[in-house]
Amino acid sequence: MGNRKRKGWHRYINGLTISTFFVVLFIAAPLYWLIISSFKTPAAMGDSPPQYWPNPWSTQNYRQAFVQYDFGSYFYHSLIVTLVATALVLVLGTMAGYALGRLPMRGKFTLMVTLLMISVFPEIAVIAPLYTLLKDLNWLNTYQALIIPYTAFYLPFAVWILRNYMLGIPKEMEETARIDGAGPIRTVWSIILPMALPGVFTAGIFTFTAAWTEFLMALTFNINLKTIPVGIATFGTALEVPFGTIFAASVVAVFPIGILVFIFRKFVISGLTSGAVKG
Amino acid sequence: MTTISGTAEQVQATAPLVGRPDVNRKRMARLGWAFSAPALIVVAAVTIFPIVYSVIMSLSNVTVTGSGINLNGFTWSNYSLVLKNATWHYALGFTIIYTFITVIVELIIGTMIALVLQRLTAGRGWMMALLLLPWSMITVINAELWLYIYNGVYGVADAILGAVGLGTPNILGHSTSAIIALMIADIWKTTPFVAIIVLAGLVMLPGDIYEAAEVDGSSGWSTFWRITVPLLRPTLALAVIFRVLQAFGLFDLPFVMTNGGPGTATTSLAILGYKAMFQNLDFGPGAAVATTTTALVLLGCLVSLRFFRVQVGKEGS
Repeated sequence: MGNRKRKGWHRYINGLTISTFFVVLFIAAPLYWLIISSFKTPAAMGDSPPQYWPNPWSTQNYRQAFVQYDFGSYFYHSLIVTLVATALVLVLGTMAGYALGRLPMRGKFTLMVTLLMISVFPEIAVIAPLYTLLKDLNWLNTYQALIIPYTAFYLPFAVWILRNYMLGIPKEMEETARIDGAGPIRTVWSIILPMALPGVFTAGIFTFTAAWTEFLMALTFNINLKTIPVGIATFGTALEVPFGTIFAASVVAVFPIGILVFIFRKFVISGLTSGAVKG
Repeated sequence: MTTISGTAEQVQATAPLVGRPDVNRKRMARLGWAFSAPALIVVAAVTIFPIVYSVIMSLSNVTVTGSGINLNGFTWSNYSLVLKNATWHYALGFTIIYTFITVIVELIIGTMIALVLQRLTAGRGWMMALLLLPWSMITVINAELWLYIYNGVYGVADAILGAVGLGTPNILGHSTSAIIALMIADIWKTTPFVAIIVLAGLVMLPGDIYEAAEVDGSSGWSTFWRITVPLLRPTLALAVIFRVLQAFGLFDLPFVMTNGGPGTATTSLAILGYKAMFQNLDFGPGAAVATTTTALVLLGCLVSLRFFRVQVGKEGS
């Protein structure tokens, strides 16, 4: 009797569940804190000891973020910059990935290594020259001031991922298409692209995430056309940081990407595998 | 875009050449360059040109006027200024130590999480989704969240430390605790990324080796050190390289959380370069900081590529 009971007990409390519990706690606790804090009243944000559960629940922080701080327009700026940059990266990256993965070009390996190196360059290295250039073009505080650098900076990684996907597509598919008289553009569009779609999703998610979260360039080039990270970092004054408003805005900012990442999590993971481990 | 479609039409017009491998190959190579040209041009224009310009700037007498930046002749002075500067020495040391410690801790915890996840039969998808949340979070939000947690008056970290009898230190007010606090915030955000890479590597390991080890009577711990770790080495090394290179450009987190302080305690190389250029308008020395940082990153990249050459080279076809 006792034996069976212990067996049942062991089934649920063992090393695995305990470590899983700590993993979840470690990751989820700060997220919990972010979300519930956004629902505290602005006054309760400064309670000591802090409220571990909002009392009362309030949406005042959310109202403040959108009404007082114009978070809606930061969101809009971020969305335009991110979507256009992602689209450009995918179009240019798919073509380059196809060429580097499947066409017989000389110096392909050197090109791939160069691209890989560029993708790890610290942003600080290009900030000053790009700033000067954008200033001369009168492009500071415009959408293109971020769209073009983001496209260039996130292309190498996308090309790398897409090339790895392209390598995995059987050659016969392409040859059949060619024999049937399909031109190169047609072949890419109707044969290669559908098969490389998972790779395109993966590259898309990575580019979207990178552009959505980028801070240094957005801060330097577009202080008057704020994206979400710059907007959130500059909420409030030197004397007072409105954490409630910041967290409300943060929850709104985390949601689109959280949902996107959740839906496409398979592609993120396979991207890390094929893009990173195999590469 | 017009050039691409133009080339494509040209290629289509010479379609009868199909079947002659040599000519065909040349034609395909030309198509390859046409397809990759737009991407390569954009990347070169926005990254390589500015990096070259940055190097030139770091070797010039730079004056800032109302209309822009002027370069007046060659000089080594920016580098001699930077290399002798105590703040730069500190920033270099801080960035290296910060990178070293965070990457080691992330690797250990990340591997542990990956091992747990590998054994998890139910709810693995949900765990993955949870892991991806911190990774996909805007670093500025991460910084603000931890700023609130560490707050000296109403922060939950102080409340917890007080409850276990460790008092209520002003965490971000002292150098050492501020650095540790920064590392914890970074580890929270980036460990899941390491965990996912390691898990991907674990899943690809051949299962029969483990069966053989079990038959030979190998215990869990020795199996881990003698089989899992050696087999996982390429994956682990790659995760390390990824993280080291990323951590070396550390900017967002200290910029928002501590603004490089208290004093210069959390001033990374990127923060130092940014402040030199955009707050003090010292573009020459700032460019020298940026260039030396890039050189270090590049050196790290070359060393790691050498380490990986066999693997990368094997795949190229």
